Amino acid sequence: MKQFRKVIAAAIVYSVILAAPVSAQKTSKLTDPEIASAAVVANQGDIGFAKIAKQKSKNADVLKFAETMATDHQSVIDQAVALVTKLKVTPKDNAFSRKLTSDAAKTRKMLQSKSAKTFDKAYIDNEVAYHKGVIAAVENVLIPQASNQELKSLLQNVVPTLKAHLEHAQMVQKMFSKK
Amino acid sequence: MISFFILKWRGIIFTYLFLSFFLFGCTRPEDNAINEPGKNPSAIDSEKSGPELHTIEISEMKFHPDQINVHKGDTVIWKNNDIVAHCITEENTKAWTSSKVPAGASWKMVVNTSANYFCAIHQVMKGKITVE
Repeated sequence: MKQFRKVIAAAIVYSVILAAPVSAQKTSKLTDPEIASAAVVANQGDIGFAKIAKQKSKNADVLKFAETMATDHQSVIDQAVALVTKLKVTPKDNAFSRKLTSDAAKTRKMLQSKSAKTFDKAYIDNEVAYHKGVIAAVENVLIPQASNQELKSLLQNVVPTLKAHLEHAQMVQKMFSKK
Repeated sequence: MISFFILKWRGIIFTYLFLSFFLFGCTRPEDNAINEPGKNPSAIDSEKSGPELHTIEISEMKFHPDQINVHKGDTVIWKNNDIVAHCITEENTKAWTSSKVPAGASWKMVVNTSANYFCAIHQVMKGKITVE
């Protein structure tokens, strides 16, 4: 049940971050359980990408970045799970979180297919794009649509972390462009 | 009988005078210090004060303040009020590091030289200490 909640929460996070701009126009307002689910799914997605990076990369900067992503996003999931447990909210799967999950699966497949030579750039390019999407979704969809103040605060607290991740990814990306 | 009471009263008076003198003598130096010309209690306190404690808060993926001036021997404490773990590491030669400071924890050190520092986990987070 706990694992299920974590997966749902991660799915919610990533769904909200990535799919929100599109979904918001097509669907009705997300409920707090749906937002929680998207948030968790979104975080789980980046942990999945980091896991692949740790298996395939030999670049010290990429490995360090991947380790930070795995640790930080797990920390966010832990806090999201603690909050939904406290609020007695069960994260609810929804179209948004399902889209995040399917997109993450496609990205994992793409990363797995990369050769040792091309993997690092593909991973970092995806991290830049992914964090841009997640930041937009959290700021424009999840935060405005969250009803519970504690859930809203948690999402607001996550934004600076996501922005630092994006800046860090762009820094590593620049190193690859110079090579 | 009478001489016994006289001797007893002499002892009591002598003891009273001795204690009065002793207690009076103990209080005078404080009075002198407080009333010393050109000085006041706060001035004396500042002269006696040693190294200072400076606090830097880590929140929203930044050091607050990110630049700080200290005196040699002062202590700086970093309080991690963020939602993720951070570290505080000297940037140029990695001369010193806090290692991982979990969310909600603190780390402090005595500063003797100026330094640029950063969070080695989130390398975009930077700070500077200047020893005056």
